[in-house]
Formats: sequence, structure tokens, C-alpha cells
Amino acid sequence: MQGRASPDVPGIAAATVFAIASQIIGAAFLYLILRVDGGWQVVGLLALLGLGFYLLERLPWIADYALASFARVPLVAMITAAVIVLAFPFFVGSNTYILHLLIVAELYAVLALALNFQLGSANIPNFATGASYGIGAYVSALLAINFGVSFWLTLPVAALAATLFGFIIGIPSMRTRDTYLALVTIAFGVVVQQLLNNFSWTGGPNGLVGIPAPSLFGHSFADPLVIFGWKLPSQANFYYLSAALVVVAIVTAHRLHGSRIGLAWNALRADEIAAKAQGINVAWFKVLAFAVDAFLAAFAGTIYAFYVSYISPDNFTFLVSVTIMTMVIVGGMDNIFGVIVGAFLLTILPEKLRAFADYRLLFFGVVIIGFLMIRPQGLFPQRMRRYGGEP
Amino acid sequence: MSALLKVENLTMRFGGLVALNDVSLSIDKGAVLAVIGPNGAGKSTLFNVVTGVYRPTSGRVTFDGAEITDRPSYEVVDRGIARTFQSSRLFSDLSVLDNVIIGMHTRTRTGVLTALFRPGASRREMAACVEKAETLLKLGSGDLFEQRYRPAGTLAQADRRRLEIARALASQPKLLLLDEPSVGMDDMETDALVADITRLRVQNPALSVILIEHDMRVVEAFPQHVTCIDYGSKIAEGDFAAVRAEPRVQEAYLGKAVAHA
Repeated sequence: MQGRASPDVPGIAAATVFAIASQIIGAAFLYLILRVDGGWQVVGLLALLGLGFYLLERLPWIADYALASFARVPLVAMITAAVIVLAFPFFVGSNTYILHLLIVAELYAVLALALNFQLGSANIPNFATGASYGIGAYVSALLAINFGVSFWLTLPVAALAATLFGFIIGIPSMRTRDTYLALVTIAFGVVVQQLLNNFSWTGGPNGLVGIPAPSLFGHSFADPLVIFGWKLPSQANFYYLSAALVVVAIVTAHRLHGSRIGLAWNALRADEIAAKAQGINVAWFKVLAFAVDAFLAAFAGTIYAFYVSYISPDNFTFLVSVTIMTMVIVGGMDNIFGVIVGAFLLTILPEKLRAFADYRLLFFGVVIIGFLMIRPQGLFPQRMRRYGGEP
Repeated sequence: MSALLKVENLTMRFGGLVALNDVSLSIDKGAVLAVIGPNGAGKSTLFNVVTGVYRPTSGRVTFDGAEITDRPSYEVVDRGIARTFQSSRLFSDLSVLDNVIIGMHTRTRTGVLTALFRPGASRREMAACVEKAETLLKLGSGDLFEQRYRPAGTLAQADRRRLEIARALASQPKLLLLDEPSVGMDDMETDALVADITRLRVQNPALSVILIEHDMRVVEAFPQHVTCIDYGSKIAEGDFAAVRAEPRVQEAYLGKAVAHA
């Protein structure tokens, strides 16, 4: 089927232009929405975004064309993305508030990608991602404060501790399904938060204060970042660190999705009994999804703890888990790009709607429902695997 | 020659309901066994017990020299039993190709660490799976290969049955359990199905097939071994002519079915 040249397959030049231009437009849009303040400007940008999604829904060939272009020139697409991510803080400049928003959005993107292994790939409604996030944050913070362990060492330790937690909630959860499974994970999430609130060694409701900033090659992350004479605020350190973590999460998600494991998870999602009949060890693959979710969430937790240098149980409530779940559903289940867009949108939107004061949350809800009405399968729904075949 | 699959005195109770009552049967390597009986007789329950979906109340199942009673499904599939379902259970939101590749789950090995740190090995494994799956899709009747990128849920009924068989074959089974494969097929498609099964046996003479069927045209095509189940009990076995002649079978089942066929 290789020979059949359909008119939609873009040539190299067209694909290159498209891959670069579309990403720059996307970045410009993100920059604009981060910069604007007035309520009407935000509404205008949201309307523009809604129009974009409406066109995507109405004209499916746009998405096909975009994917074909990116597949045609993957290297160009990746380099463009890398340049945009690296250059973004230079445009933001000294606005630490925008940098802060970006860091939080990046961490949420990692959390949403983590949950996506369960909710998106395997349809396991896990409401305990917030708890894994918290365990990661607390383990690394406690190690750093009490034993002076370096940030870089706490990263893997916290991740392993949270993975263990993932196994612990995964195994009893295997006895339940659907709604009941959701209830079990809610209970776990609440229990973890209550424990953090009541133990004395976790600082109780006061949390942990004075988590030291990490350093790399003698450069403390609390200091401003100076690159080629450009001085970026200290948040830029964490911006790049979180961006690196997002890349790790994307690579992890991409590799698992494309392997036999991603297929087994998808099989579970579609029909558990049929999955069993194909020889899939259903219980093991569910537990595995819990473990991978916890592992990545703990990374995000560690970076968060060292970034804000102060954590308390309030940072890891049930509401956090619900937010992460909404990001996956709005962005698009089992679609890596969609999940990231969902995370950014749902992190930035509530902040930008501050102009609406008391009506902020109401408006937020209306916007999300509106987007879901335009794109019922999520902003970027899952795509079929192609295995290098025709697009 | 010892039997490939041996079911001994199998009883399955669901509360007060006896779905299978002291059923014994066996099938040799390379043979086809047709299991017939009215709706609700316990035929599908038999498949579910053999494949480890249900744990039998009592009785023994041995396959290929090992006892598999109470063993989990994934182990049963790994040992070489594949099945299809009466109401086809495809992974409807995945492509036709993906459905077949998932069928190879027990024949592939990539774990999380391999997938993450040796992506090349993982990719090569998938590429090999794609190639094998495409071969399997080309083999059967119908044009599944041309439809390989379609979501399985959008296939026509006959194609769904064919895809289920292709998916089951993907696990390279020694024993294939087909649960009413001809449901929803017209006469021509049923003939193609019989031809498919015949061809499979020629290509792989060691493959054994247990067939649950209502369509006597299919049973007639494989008449050597037929077992009839009614109300959970085996009421007849032998070749098709002998089973058909059995008064209890006619009373339970064939009387009506033959009149319609």
C-alpha cells in the first residue's frame, strides 16, 4: 500500500514548514494567554481556541495532515519543540509569576501522563495519584531535611518508595473493579493525606519547612540562571528541570504505549474477559499500571517539594487527584499530546480567570464543559497505532 | 496415543444451578470434536472451565500431559489453548491488526524495563508481530487484511468471527476452542468458515479443534467425533450419524434443528 500517494500526504518542504509553523503558533498562543490580564482578552483567546477545536472536530483531515507532517520530518519537529521549550523563558523574562505557572503546568503534565497509563490506557479510575505525588514529595523532603541527602539521590529513592506504595494499593484493588476500584483508591488517597496530617515526623498540618534548594555542578537552583549574559530568575532552573521530567515522562509513555505492554493495557480497557482469554495476566498488568503511575508521580512530587521548599498535606488532597483526572479526560485519554495540553489548559485557565473574581470557578466549569461539547472524545482523542503503514 | 485434552467428571455448580454434571470427554492431537446441544446446555461453561475462567466444583482437566484444573487463564493460554467467544468479544476500539497482535501476548516477552531501556528490542518484537499478524489476516477467507487499520468494532458480523479466529490462532495454540463460529454468517460465509477450518488442519495437522455449533452443516463437515450435552450432562457421543440417531438427542435438540435446516 506504500505506492498509493493520496493527496493528503505532505511533501518534505510542506511538512517542514507545517511542523515549524504550527509549533511556533502554539507557543505564541501559550505566551499570549500567559501574558494577557483583562477578562475580555482571556475570553477572546478562549473563543479562538474553541474555534480551533471546532475546526479540528469538523475537518478531521487537519489532524491527519498534522500527524502526517510530523511523521514525515520527526527530527525537524523535535528540534523545533526543543528550541521553543529552551527559548520560552527568555521571552517571559523576569516575570516570575508566569514562570511559576509554567512549572506547575509542567509538573501537572507529568502527573497527568502518569495517570494516563491507568485511566487512559487501561481504564483504571485511580484517585490516588495525588497521594503518590505527596509520598514522593514527603519522602524526598524528609531525606533532604533530616539526613542532608542530595536532591539527585532523593529522586530515585522517592520514586521507588512511591512505586512500593503503588504496589500496595494495586494489589488489594485487584479484587475490585470500576466504581468499587475508584472507591478503594479514593480511600487510599484520603488515608495517606490524613496520615501526613497526623504523624509528628511529617510535621503534621504544618508540613515540612526549609527544604534546601538542589544544586548542580556548584550552581544552586536558588540562584538566578545566567546564560550567555542573559539573567533569568531562579525559577528558570526549575522550569528546565521540570521540562526535562516532562521529556522523561513523554519518552516513557511513548515507549510503553508502542510496546506489548501498552497493547495489553488497551486490551484490559476494551474487554477484560477477552484480555484474559488472550493470556494476559490481568491482575499483574493492573498492578503494573499502578506502579508506573506512582513512579512518575513521585518524580513530580520531589521536584515540587524542592521547588517550593515548603510542603504540607494540603498540597496533596483528594482534589489534586480529581484535577489530574480531569486533565486526562479533557485532554484526551491515551493521547500523550492531548494529556499535556489538558494539563496546561487546566493549570493556566483558573489563574487567568481571576479577572472574573467570584465567578471564576463557575466560568472555569463553563469553559471546560464547552470544550468537551465541541470535542466529546477529549481535545485530542486517541489514535490508532499505524506501525509505519499508510497514515 | 494419549489424549491432548482430557476432561474427567467435570461438575460446575452456580449456587443451586448445575451447569455441568459429571461431564467427561477427550480429544486427540489433530482431531476435531464437535460439541452440540440446545441453548443453555452448558457448552460455553465447558469452555470457560477448560480455559480457567471458572473453577470447577469438582473434576479434572488435563492438557498435554499436565493438570490445568484451577490454573489461571494466562497459564492455560501459554500452554496452548486458545478460544473464541460466542458473542464475539473483540477489542472494539483497537484496530484489526492490534487485535491479532494482542493474541500473541503469550508468545512475546517485552517487559517494562526492556520497553523503556532497550526500545530497539521492543520495536523489533512489535515489527515481527505485525508481520505475523498480517500473514494471519491474509490467510483466512474475507478481506480482513485490507481492513487491518479499521477499528475492530466497525467490522461486519462475519468478519468479526473471522478476526476472533485469527486472534486465537495468533497464540500458536495446540488446541483451538471455537464457540459457535458460524453465528451471524450466511450460507456462503459458513461454507468459507468450514473451508478455513479444513485448511487450518491441513497446514497444521497437529492442531486440535473443539467446535461448539448449532449449525449442523458445520458439524456434518467434521463428523468423526460429536458430543451432545443437555442440561449439563453428556447424553451422547460418537460419530455424527450415531449421535444423530440417538433418540435422546433428537428429543433434546435435533428434532427442531433438523426440521429448520
